[in-house]
Amino acid sequence: MSALGQSLAGRRVAVCVGAGGVGKTSLAAALALARALAGGKALVCTIDPARRLANALGLTALGNAESRVPAARLAQAGLAPPGQLFAMMLDVKRTWDDLIVRHAPDPARRDRILRNRLYQQMSAALAGSQEYMAMEKLHELAEDRDYDLIVLDTPPTAHALDFLDAPTRILDFLGSDAARVLLAPAVGVGRLGLRLAQLSGGYAARALARFTGQQALSDLGEFLQSFQGMYDGFKARAAAVRALLARPEAGFVLVTSSSPAAVAETLAFHGRLRAEAMPLAGLVVNRLTPDLWPYPSPLPGAAELLPPLAQAATSGGGPGTSRAALAERLAAALAEHQALVWAERSALAPLLEEVRVPCAMVPRLEGEVHDLAGLATLAAAL
Amino acid sequence: MWTCPPPLASLSSLVAPPTLLDRHLVFVTGKGGAGKSTVTAALALLASRAGKRVLACEVNAPQERLAPLLRAPAGEGLREARPGLHVLDVRPRAAMREYGLKVLRFQAVYHAVFENRLMQYFLRAIPSLSELVVLGKILHEARSLEPGGRPRWDLVLVDAPATGHALQLLRVPSALLDTLPGGPVRRDAEWMARMLVDPVRTAVAIVTLPEELPVNEAIELDAEVGGVLGMARAALFVNAVPTSRSSPEEARALSALAAAPPPLGPAARAAALAATRAERAGRQLARACDAIDAPATVLPLLPTAGWGPPEIEALAGAIAEGWARGEGG
Repeated sequence: MSALGQSLAGRRVAVCVGAGGVGKTSLAAALALARALAGGKALVCTIDPARRLANALGLTALGNAESRVPAARLAQAGLAPPGQLFAMMLDVKRTWDDLIVRHAPDPARRDRILRNRLYQQMSAALAGSQEYMAMEKLHELAEDRDYDLIVLDTPPTAHALDFLDAPTRILDFLGSDAARVLLAPAVGVGRLGLRLAQLSGGYAARALARFTGQQALSDLGEFLQSFQGMYDGFKARAAAVRALLARPEAGFVLVTSSSPAAVAETLAFHGRLRAEAMPLAGLVVNRLTPDLWPYPSPLPGAAELLPPLAQAATSGGGPGTSRAALAERLAAALAEHQALVWAERSALAPLLEEVRVPCAMVPRLEGEVHDLAGLATLAAAL
Repeated sequence: MWTCPPPLASLSSLVAPPTLLDRHLVFVTGKGGAGKSTVTAALALLASRAGKRVLACEVNAPQERLAPLLRAPAGEGLREARPGLHVLDVRPRAAMREYGLKVLRFQAVYHAVFENRLMQYFLRAIPSLSELVVLGKILHEARSLEPGGRPRWDLVLVDAPATGHALQLLRVPSALLDTLPGGPVRRDAEWMARMLVDPVRTAVAIVTLPEELPVNEAIELDAEVGGVLGMARAALFVNAVPTSRSSPEEARALSALAAAPPPLGPAARAAALAATRAERAGRQLARACDAIDAPATVLPLLPTAGWGPPEIEALAGAIAEGWARGEGG
């Protein structure tokens, strides 16, 4: 078993993080598949996967339903895992609604929130909302289900690890008493609130209304007021998620490619995880170009390729292709290939120097990686 | 939402549609990792060499990318990279401040309201407000005039976020029109929405890689941009396209030699791999070009361990060569 495999073997939760375009979702699925192939019950939870991959996993819709990848489908790809592979697609709006339903003190309050226009927008579109709900769902899955491994594919976020900040940020706002007081003139809460608002916030709220219109402000005020009393439940939950991530049974897997931009982002992710004291399970470098010239001698020129080419007594190209021209093409092709290998290696050097964790180097797969057979190849490379 | 097209659109049908760099505002987007920033930088360089006054923007970048690629000084705000070429990282907080000052008029009022810690919560909580001010800042630049009345910029290029977030950003004005009954934000959303769908001034350029998933994403993005947002797509860049020196038949013959001892084996394997990869990329390239109705420019795979001004020069050269061959543009 690889070093990364060993590092993951003892964990129940793996969170894949990485820049966009590095193959994070496929790798998350491959990690879950690898555990199923090792006899475990594994779930991959993805957010907005590419359609092909979703199809490969048998996912047809959002909806937070954990569905088992059918054995027949796995068999078609030549796989007969002793364990079980499950997949689900996160439904952000639904996860928010479930949270409100769980924490609302009474049906009237629940309905008022669910109907609020601002809530409807926020649950779908607020920055960080996806990240927050991914964490929320992860907690539920880890607490209430009996998976041996849950792999979370994080949203392609523009900012390093938004999902560590988003719950706190959103909750700070929802739970801010001062915010409710400030908005009081917009909704007309109790007398004390009103007086405070006249003193300090009334002016601010009027200025804000100039900005957004009165209606939006009233929606916000109503929403915050309805939320009163639910805050503690939410807050406790968010703290529990963070605690879960910090436990040794959880671990982050950094996924990168060898592109300079991805390497830079991965270094930033790594710095942030270290600063937050989050457990790091490993690093996956995806889509490496294979090194075809690991020899100390310089790359061969056409002249050195010509004799073995003649000896191989192959026609090489079609008729009319001279063997010397073929030797030229081969020398050039090898030189171009190795230029890529060396460019990737020097792009990765600062990362491998800095990030000292179990690491898997995954070669660029020449076939499709978006079907189950492709995922299996990927799982084997891990 | 727009029952009649903006007036300029009807004029444009009489003449050839403007090429990419003739637009005033171009959003460059695509799947993460496809090369949006480098293509944006190369386009900025080309446009400024053609004598245009160019502003290249990025949106709240975690690490600024355009400035170092174009040799602009590090820092904040508007910076000159070379004569006629400026860069700007549009940050929500600075944009909010600028917008707040405009709406509220007085610095003192702005400070009392917006620099208030509590108020920061609101600004974050009102959905899409930060996207609105970021987009507003960009669009404001694109339509701002010099004292003499000529536009301040000939071209504003935006290194937009990756597909999903870019769509979210571009959808903000119409979303706000749906939710806000009135107020200054609604009025701003109105002109912004009009500007985005003006096909003569504004367009989207899509960057993709010649691989299955990025091409799928580009096709979906193209449909969303055209169908849902109603914006013009002016260019498709297929980036990092590998080439091969061998025909498919030769590659098959070479695969048989891949097991030979070095130096022949590795060289044959490299040539066969290059041919396979080029063939597969060619299929994806064709798929993208068939499905996306925008002029395509093919950019070569450049082996590089890091992107800097010399690599941007090379990429700009490749784009110019493609356009000279009659691709894209």
